[in-house]
Amino acid sequence: MAQLSDDTQTPQGDTAPAALPGDGLREGIVDTLRNDIGEALIDTLLKPNDDLWVRVSAESWLATGQALKAAGFTYFCFLSAIDWMPSPFGNSQDDPDDEPKKIDMTIKQGYTGGETRMQVFARLTDIDRHVGLTIKADVADDNQVVDSWSQLFAGANWHERECHEMFGIGFNNHPDLRNMYLPGDFEGYPLKKDFPLLARMVKPWPGIVDVEPMPDFEEAADAPAAEAPASAIEGAES
Amino acid sequence: MGLVDKGRLPAPLTKLFNLSRSYSLWVYQWGLACCAIEMGAAFGSPRYDVMRLGVIPLPASPRQADFVCVSGTVTDKMAPAVKRLWEQMPEPKYAISMGSCANCGGPYWDSYSVTKGVDQIIPIDVYVPGCPPRPEALLEGIVLLQQRIKNEDMAAKWRGDEFTTLQRTRAMEAGEVDRDGELISDTHSISDEPMAEIASAHPEPIVVGGGPIE
Amino acid sequence: MTLTDRQQLSYIASQAADARLNVELETEGMTLNIGPQHPATHGTLRIIARLDGEQVVWAEPVAGYMHRGYEKLTEVRTFPQVTSLVNRIDWLGSFANEVPFILAAEKLMEVEAPPRAQVIRTILFELSRIANVSLFLGDLGVQMGAITPVFLAFRDREYILNLIEGATGGRFHPNFDRIGGLKDDLPKGWIQETKGAVKKLEEFCDTIDDLLFGNEIFQSRMRGIGVIPADIAKDYGLSGANARASGIDWDLRRDQDLPLSYDLADWKVWTHPDGDSWARCWIRLQETRESCKIVGQLLDQIPAGPVMTKVPRIIKVPEGEAWVATENPLGEMGYYVVSKGDLGPFRVKIRSASFNNISIVPWALKGVYVPDIITILASLYFILGDIDR
Repeated sequence: MAQLSDDTQTPQGDTAPAALPGDGLREGIVDTLRNDIGEALIDTLLKPNDDLWVRVSAESWLATGQALKAAGFTYFCFLSAIDWMPSPFGNSQDDPDDEPKKIDMTIKQGYTGGETRMQVFARLTDIDRHVGLTIKADVADDNQVVDSWSQLFAGANWHERECHEMFGIGFNNHPDLRNMYLPGDFEGYPLKKDFPLLARMVKPWPGIVDVEPMPDFEEAADAPAAEAPASAIEGAES
Repeated sequence: MGLVDKGRLPAPLTKLFNLSRSYSLWVYQWGLACCAIEMGAAFGSPRYDVMRLGVIPLPASPRQADFVCVSGTVTDKMAPAVKRLWEQMPEPKYAISMGSCANCGGPYWDSYSVTKGVDQIIPIDVYVPGCPPRPEALLEGIVLLQQRIKNEDMAAKWRGDEFTTLQRTRAMEAGEVDRDGELISDTHSISDEPMAEIASAHPEPIVVGGGPIE
Repeated sequence: MTLTDRQQLSYIASQAADARLNVELETEGMTLNIGPQHPATHGTLRIIARLDGEQVVWAEPVAGYMHRGYEKLTEVRTFPQVTSLVNRIDWLGSFANEVPFILAAEKLMEVEAPPRAQVIRTILFELSRIANVSLFLGDLGVQMGAITPVFLAFRDREYILNLIEGATGGRFHPNFDRIGGLKDDLPKGWIQETKGAVKKLEEFCDTIDDLLFGNEIFQSRMRGIGVIPADIAKDYGLSGANARASGIDWDLRRDQDLPLSYDLADWKVWTHPDGDSWARCWIRLQETRESCKIVGQLLDQIPAGPVMTKVPRIIKVPEGEAWVATENPLGEMGYYVVSKGDLGPFRVKIRSASFNNISIVPWALKGVYVPDIITILASLYFILGDIDR
């Protein structure tokens, strides 16, 4: 039986402005994490007054979650993955009559680097200190499996199911990796970069007719502000 | 009514039947996405008030409905359920496709999980374009459907002169015609003459705002 | 603490329910399927519940009937095209979906909207919250068999939709936000009209407060039902009013530094200690009032100036990664945008509020009675487009 709050006692709201996190706090978080998991912390990136990224080894994925939860990051925000391979189909917005552009297929990871094609990443928030961070880990190319967080954060259960369905990444000790979105007979992992969008292959992008030569980047930046807004963006989106 | 079955119905009686049918339409609302809210505004809000047109929203089941309003994105996972409920509706039945997604896939034309148009699974009588269409546009679609019902020759439909929605559905299932009602060419048993007749008898879908949908 | 009569009655009823549980009764198991199309669900969520008599032993939501593949589609669209797509995630408060994505792109491009655009953005953001939550408040009655509130909601929501249409041209999906500002300035007379509409919405909140929240049936079906403690809520990543109803004092409008003008207004973040269905609905009612207050105050503080900053004609977002989340009507909505310096994003992870909010359903429905399934789902408040994306 839940305790009911009395009618006479008005539920409270907080009006006090909260202090926003500084970079010092974020540095402290990195130090604490390094103490906890040691060598497994591979790289960190702190953008001043913005955000914090850390990359850990795949083996310590679960240990990192545990250490961060103990350090106050009790709020689970999301978990997903990135396929860093450039899409072999380009951005699907080129005219099919043009000569196909050569696509540079070198895999280049984003912030905090990486060595593999697939990376899992998650975000945790400390609600009391108003600070969050993004955790990344490489997933080995030959064995795309990491430990599950579902025992640690109950919310990770569905996110891992989604990630498994979209990227084909497996999660050790996950209770139930069924498909969440797609019908059972669907083949392939849609968010992998080499998954083709068949409608785009069959029919060229209808927006091609609107693509016309535009003035150079510098020219537009020097143009008066009055004419920049309306035409600039409408042209690009139609 | 035995008269209808035999295909002999006096014209005034047809008119009376059609009038009463068109002003007591039970609509089964198949609200799927954004359009469902605009459909809700048309059906449930005091400003648009669909009941003044003789349309009765919220039947208990599709078995009591005269037409279905499919509003929103139909996904491949949802498509079997849409088809199943369409089959549960009794004849004569009509379908309105509301919104770009139900018409042709809309903004998700290139998605891997969206059915590109509900007309791939059920035959549609009225298309209401828009993303989402305003409630007024849906009301116009309903009025156009009522006009079609008023001009329908029930006895002729029964005789099979006109390609009814049920026949079209069955013919589609049997693989005799494609979804536009055009005969698929490899059915040799039918000669050229009735083929032309059937093609001309099949009612063209109505598009609110006129003009074909691209 | 002296209990009121109503609280005593509710306590006795729950004690009786507990007592019944302890008696070994011969009951037959049954599986109940609700959905995917059901008038009591907002959209096409399907719930499969295993029942023991009147009690739910196990319940599982089946999502995916509205999965449209947003994250893949963003990869083949340019940045300005993505806003017209993400409009349709949470279709009741469309403008609120654009803002975090545009802010993330602006962060990567290191541009900032002019002050006038920031204030107008905040006003439109709050208006879309009112449009969203007012329908929730109306729909709440339908879940319990009261039809009147939903008519009131549809009537008063039209005022807000008209305002959004007047300013943006789009009644439902405005697609008004641009990288670097807004597409257009406000039309003439809009501010005056908004002031009138906000008053009407405040009256609507008072009506709903009387009609629903003051209703004894409503209270006895909501109070003490579906309690979610704060630590469970954090574990599942519940956000927005669902988290604040469990006593978590967390509001992204106040607790982070974004180029939106919430600090210009005097308003309050409401929390409630109970964590039950009633608290979640009550918080949303208070939030609608606060939103009306914010809009009313900001309307007097719109600074003069342009609504668009200088941006290149063809938008290429520099290489980098950015995470921006805002407090949307449903909760924390965030975009993790990865750009490779191309016309379109390389990867966009959409963290939508309903996905996390509804993942608690198997936990929250365990052991409740069948009629409570609907009220708990209604009070958790989800939109299918926001779950499945």
